[in-house]
Amino acid sequence: MKTVMHTCQRLLCVLVLLGCCSALSWGAASPPVRNNRLLEWQISGKVTSEKGETLPGVTVILKGSSLGTSTDATGNYFLKVPETAGTLVFSSVGTVTKEVPFSGAGVINVALNDDAKALEEVVVVGYGTVKKSSVTAAVSKIENKILNEIPAGRAETALVGRLAGVNVSQTRSSPGSAPLIRIRGAGSIDAGNEPLVVIDGFPGGSLGQINMNDVESIEVLKDASSSAIYGSRAAGGVIIVTTKRGKTGKPRFNFNAYYGFSKARLHNDWLSTEDYYNYAVKYQNREYSWIGGDASIPVWGDARRPAQYQVSDTVRRSASTIWQNEVTQVAPIQSYNLSIGGGNDNVKYYVSGVVLTEQGTVKNTDYNQYGVRANLDVKVSPVVSLGFLLNPTYATRRIAPTDMVSLVKYPNFVAEQRPDGTYPKARDYWGQNVTSQANPMAILDGTFINAYSLNNVGELFVALDLMEGLRFKSSVGTNISYNTNERFQASYATNNGITNGSASDSRSINLINENVLSYNKTFGGVHDFSGLLGASYQRNTSRNAYMAAVAGSYNNDIIHTLNNAIIDPASTATTKSEWGLISYFSRVNYGYKEKYLLSASVRADGSSRFGPANKWGYFPSASVAWRVSQEEFLKNSPAINELKLRASYGATGNFNIGDFDYLGRISSVFYAPNGVLTKGQVQSSFGNNNLSWEKTRGYDFGVELGILKNRLNITVDYYDKRTTDLLYNVSIPAITGFTSSISNVGDIRNKGIEFEIQSKNLTGGLKWQTSFNLARNRNKVVDLGGVQERITTDTYGMSWILRLGEPMFSYYGYKAIGVLQNAEQVKSTPVLVGSKPGNPIYEDINKDGKIDSQDKVILGNFQPKLFLGMVNTFSWKAFDLSLAMQASLGAKIYNFENQFYQGNTLGAMRRSLVENQWWSEQEPGDGKTPASALSQLNFQGASDVYIEDGSFLAVRNINLGYTLPGVLVQKLRLGSCRVYASANNLVFVTSKSFHGYNPEGYTSGEIAGVGSRPGYNSGSEPVNRVVTFGLNLSF
Amino acid sequence: MKINQLYSGFLLALTLALSSCHDSLLNPTPESVLTSTNYYKTAKDMDLAVLGIYNRLQSRKPGDYLLMEVPGDNLYMSANTSVAGAPEIDLLALNSDNPIVADFWENTYNGIFRANSVLANIETPTDYRGTQKDQFIGEAKFMRALFYFDLVRIFGGVPKVTSLLSIDAASTLPRASEEEIYALIVDDLKDAIAKLPVQSAMARGRASKGAATGLLAKAYVYRKDWANAKTYLDQMATFNYSLLPNFASLWTLENEDNAEVLFAVKYIDGTNGQNLSTAFIPNAGAINIVNRGAEVALPSWSLMKNYVEGDTRYASTVTQFWVPPTKPTDPPIWYPFVSKYAVKHTFESSGLDLPVMRYADVLLLKAETLYELNQPEAALTELNKVRARAFGNTTHNYKLTDIASRDAFVDKLLLERQLEFAYENERWFDLTRTGKLTTVMTKEERLFNYSTKTPVTVQLNPKAYMKAFPVPQRQINQSAPGILTQNEGY
Repeated sequence: MKTVMHTCQRLLCVLVLLGCCSALSWGAASPPVRNNRLLEWQISGKVTSEKGETLPGVTVILKGSSLGTSTDATGNYFLKVPETAGTLVFSSVGTVTKEVPFSGAGVINVALNDDAKALEEVVVVGYGTVKKSSVTAAVSKIENKILNEIPAGRAETALVGRLAGVNVSQTRSSPGSAPLIRIRGAGSIDAGNEPLVVIDGFPGGSLGQINMNDVESIEVLKDASSSAIYGSRAAGGVIIVTTKRGKTGKPRFNFNAYYGFSKARLHNDWLSTEDYYNYAVKYQNREYSWIGGDASIPVWGDARRPAQYQVSDTVRRSASTIWQNEVTQVAPIQSYNLSIGGGNDNVKYYVSGVVLTEQGTVKNTDYNQYGVRANLDVKVSPVVSLGFLLNPTYATRRIAPTDMVSLVKYPNFVAEQRPDGTYPKARDYWGQNVTSQANPMAILDGTFINAYSLNNVGELFVALDLMEGLRFKSSVGTNISYNTNERFQASYATNNGITNGSASDSRSINLINENVLSYNKTFGGVHDFSGLLGASYQRNTSRNAYMAAVAGSYNNDIIHTLNNAIIDPASTATTKSEWGLISYFSRVNYGYKEKYLLSASVRADGSSRFGPANKWGYFPSASVAWRVSQEEFLKNSPAINELKLRASYGATGNFNIGDFDYLGRISSVFYAPNGVLTKGQVQSSFGNNNLSWEKTRGYDFGVELGILKNRLNITVDYYDKRTTDLLYNVSIPAITGFTSSISNVGDIRNKGIEFEIQSKNLTGGLKWQTSFNLARNRNKVVDLGGVQERITTDTYGMSWILRLGEPMFSYYGYKAIGVLQNAEQVKSTPVLVGSKPGNPIYEDINKDGKIDSQDKVILGNFQPKLFLGMVNTFSWKAFDLSLAMQASLGAKIYNFENQFYQGNTLGAMRRSLVENQWWSEQEPGDGKTPASALSQLNFQGASDVYIEDGSFLAVRNINLGYTLPGVLVQKLRLGSCRVYASANNLVFVTSKSFHGYNPEGYTSGEIAGVGSRPGYNSGSEPVNRVVTFGLNLSF
Repeated sequence: MKINQLYSGFLLALTLALSSCHDSLLNPTPESVLTSTNYYKTAKDMDLAVLGIYNRLQSRKPGDYLLMEVPGDNLYMSANTSVAGAPEIDLLALNSDNPIVADFWENTYNGIFRANSVLANIETPTDYRGTQKDQFIGEAKFMRALFYFDLVRIFGGVPKVTSLLSIDAASTLPRASEEEIYALIVDDLKDAIAKLPVQSAMARGRASKGAATGLLAKAYVYRKDWANAKTYLDQMATFNYSLLPNFASLWTLENEDNAEVLFAVKYIDGTNGQNLSTAFIPNAGAINIVNRGAEVALPSWSLMKNYVEGDTRYASTVTQFWVPPTKPTDPPIWYPFVSKYAVKHTFESSGLDLPVMRYADVLLLKAETLYELNQPEAALTELNKVRARAFGNTTHNYKLTDIASRDAFVDKLLLERQLEFAYENERWFDLTRTGKLTTVMTKEERLFNYSTKTPVTVQLNPKAYMKAFPVPQRQINQSAPGILTQNEGY
């Protein structure tokens, strides 16, 4: 395998070199202009459709030469040809290619017929394509029309709200951070729920590597039957990305650029100096009263009041800094992409390059991406064809050192910076009670967390057309990534005043060989048969090196690399790991008269990650569809044009656990005998030789309906999938020495319904299309391996529960039903031990007269209950407009962030979070909002006090374009030219009670093991409004 | 057709070539991971595995105060840093879901597992040098006894695990009685005493004969087996332990390996440190200690008021007046914090060793034992050794008349132990084992207002059953129904 890799790398090098050379020679060999040139005929004309509509972008080629052009936006073309009779070939996607002979200069107008076959949309599925009408499973497709114009650093953003059942949520909106993609809910606890991303056939890529400009289409295999062909890793669904390839014709240049700005959606209710001071006094008086103090004693300068309960006069006399506004900025975003595609019948190429830079709305954060892609297709002979793909990308990120809370909660009497450039701390103004954190700008300016990743996807394939319908394709692909992370924190940027730093390098080399034999034939005109047989071999090797400085050991703040510090031996090491996967798969599709459709597949996967006896998993699937509309009784129905019923069943697997988790690992630990750092070793996991695949089995029933001459298309799907044999760290008795052991135990169920409606509302001069989708998923824990529930509790008592019959990781705590008003009420009401006036009253669920853990109930869940998406596109003359909206309903966020803005360590406060509170018996607030203070968190952290509704409605993108008129474009010698303005999140409506920056935002990650706390938010970054202006040129 | 045959041949060859790499793909050798199948083969492996046992105590020890000091009257939780489950412990309102209690159970049994792993595999290596094998057995048994001593004091009887258990065997293993656990502790420590070298022949921070002897004596005191306790306490005289003349010098980095330490867990600043030194420091830090503290818990007035003028332990235990590091020229303000472990250190990674047992404990245990054996004068001598060291003179020594009754003696002894071992995790156990819990813990005086001279007093409701903490519910759930029983009262 090693040698294969080496050869492969060498081959890639040679090919890159060849590519460069040919590019150079190409430039040099362009023929000089000669005076004695041949006489030329000028031919021009207009290309229209059957119905007389002008057709832009039709390729016009002189047959047998490389001369050619394409029609402009008004369907006109102009071509100079040598003075000999010949034939012009007119071709365009969706029309029948037409050849027109000519014998002289002049005008040739052409009408192209629609190609019924070509018009039929093709859908990419695993290891092949199918006509959309023949699809028997739940597959969603999105074509790249304007996705590349949506201003965002990462490709996933463009998919938001466009596909039913595919939830793309941006839980963190820092530049370059990957959004979370969940297809039909989460089914796994420990082994991840990420969909498998297949880029041009390479399984296991990342959407972060993709330049949206290169994308032709994205298909999502949602149900288990369609994804089962990727068996092993498809439990989270499959996203197939197909990139653009060259087309026959003269070189076509495309230039896409946009430039714009993003601005964070911020809070506007921060308290300024006088208000802030008054609330600080209220806060301290309340604290003082709780311990029995006399709040009438002056808050400052009176020794009778303990220091902890005073408020310094400095607070009033100093600056008034709204930190949120200091740490954020209006940030530029820009993207430039140039691509060239073309070729002849034998060689086709597509080459592109992209530069994208995005600065964060939080200062000192950014994301930059540089990428090149070369796709090459060569037809060597009628039998042999070759394909080659190379896609190196380089991305850099500067990451904010903390979440928003630490940046914006800082007290407002602290100045941003001193005139001498140093950063004052809150404690410089006042020695106690306020936060001892470093100045937020110091943190941002003095912390350098950079991530660099160099990634290359390369693939080479040979395809042999052995006989009609029989094709063998063998490919070798590599996905190589090098990641470097560097971190340095200057002494002034840390809370404890000491420098720290670390560096890590990791590389991962993923090598795959796939061999597929496919057969396609129609027998007797009515039996469509296709089948495939394949084998795939994949290996991933990785190496990590990491090291860290001994805290405080940097000689100075100038040099950030570790040669300026003492290396900490306890956090320095290299590690290596690898996994291998062998798969054999087969699929059969059969269709009778395009009426009765059947598809079945099976995949066998062997993975190195499982125990010796259980390495192999088998993943079958079957699906059937009945196109009722093809039946005689409906065939000529004026009302119903398409009606398809489909049903499917399939099994998929999941192996996303550690490489050698089935073994009882021995790990290094440290001890200090004689004060010398010494390594010891311990068994750190309970081995499980029987460890095997996690399996998801799912049903899907769908109806596809096309009515009103297919102007209205409706798809409805119902699914029910069960993930069983969960790769789950099941609890085991701790007296074994361990608390959990990875096992195949547990059962999670996701069922739901999805609607997709595509409607051509207007088709005249003003065109209007709507695509609408709605999805609802219900997640339920069915089995946890013998226990009824598992609970994770965080610092202030909030719990996340896995309980049979409930959605995974629901919030679990007390239900607040009021506020304790006075000491008498505290005595007469069931309360948490130690409660005081101002604390919440909780519902005594079991009515036993006291509040304890028996009274905890489920308080909601981070998963939305309903997703809605709608895209409207309009076009009128040269104008086009697209409007993408998204709504999410029913998600609950544990907005723990709020507590930081309620007076905690006398930091920044928000009016909406303090004004309704219980401040004293005389000032009881609205009766619903308890007294919130750092000292009271234990009395309300474990309740719904901080749980807020994360529902929202957003206009995710508006894109307004104008295509320049043909005459002007021709004068500029361009093919076409479109300018546009695009805006993200222009309208964003959240629930009134929601106080966070981002209703999708939470900071402690999603589901990743039993200790997960999804929905916990302590300062996810703001949603950004982004406005850009862009240009598409082609020539 | 010929060409097709060629292709077919190529295809076949390719398939064959690839299937030969089946094994390398499916059964790769872990390059960076040792596994339980290739470990415990050499004496060196065993040495590292023994260090692994200490590592568990090393990581658990700094947080023990949450279970062993917070419920008592020495310490109360601050609002600055919250720890899940600690407020309930602080208010004596514990229930079986408490995460601190659950973590303690799990971590301690993990330590026992590590010790059992050493003992289960001890016969495998053949390359032991000298008495190495005995030493490893002694260390493993000492540590196992120490872990069980903690468990039995916290929970009462617990499942007795002395071998490596399968999941099935573990889920059907019931609790052993308190007597059975103590019997195991005694057996283990006796074997450890027989096999362990003395401190001078052992690395600091590892178990020794003297440490095992002292711990065994302590276990006997907890069993009120005074005769046996005396036997082992008397043996302590043979090991060259002594009280340091100056209490403060116990808590310095320079003087960690001193003659008073029977056994201490060792730490290294920055690279292998403990966070206890940071835990009690005010949020804004303390000058020459650390720039930032965690301020998890603060000293109770109930303890502070017991230190009398001249007791040098007060200043080494609690700092009363604090100066903000950012305002070093400001006048000190009344802001008492626990400073016993306050050495200059890296935030949350202090190098100060944490003693598990000191010679002062041996002396006070001896005083108690002798008193119970009806030798009040001898008891008084031992008690006064500790007291005289604390005051630097004998003027505060107790007289026989001070301990005329047993109650008076127990009060004096408990007071002395509270003052001497504050924040060394002795107080709670002293209250529970002497039955003083329900009388002492009815209230706790916390923050003291220096200006008005009044403390904030919290009323508590201690019950006798609270001497044992609840068995973690999640462990009960893990066991077969009815196997793991809950303690009374929960």
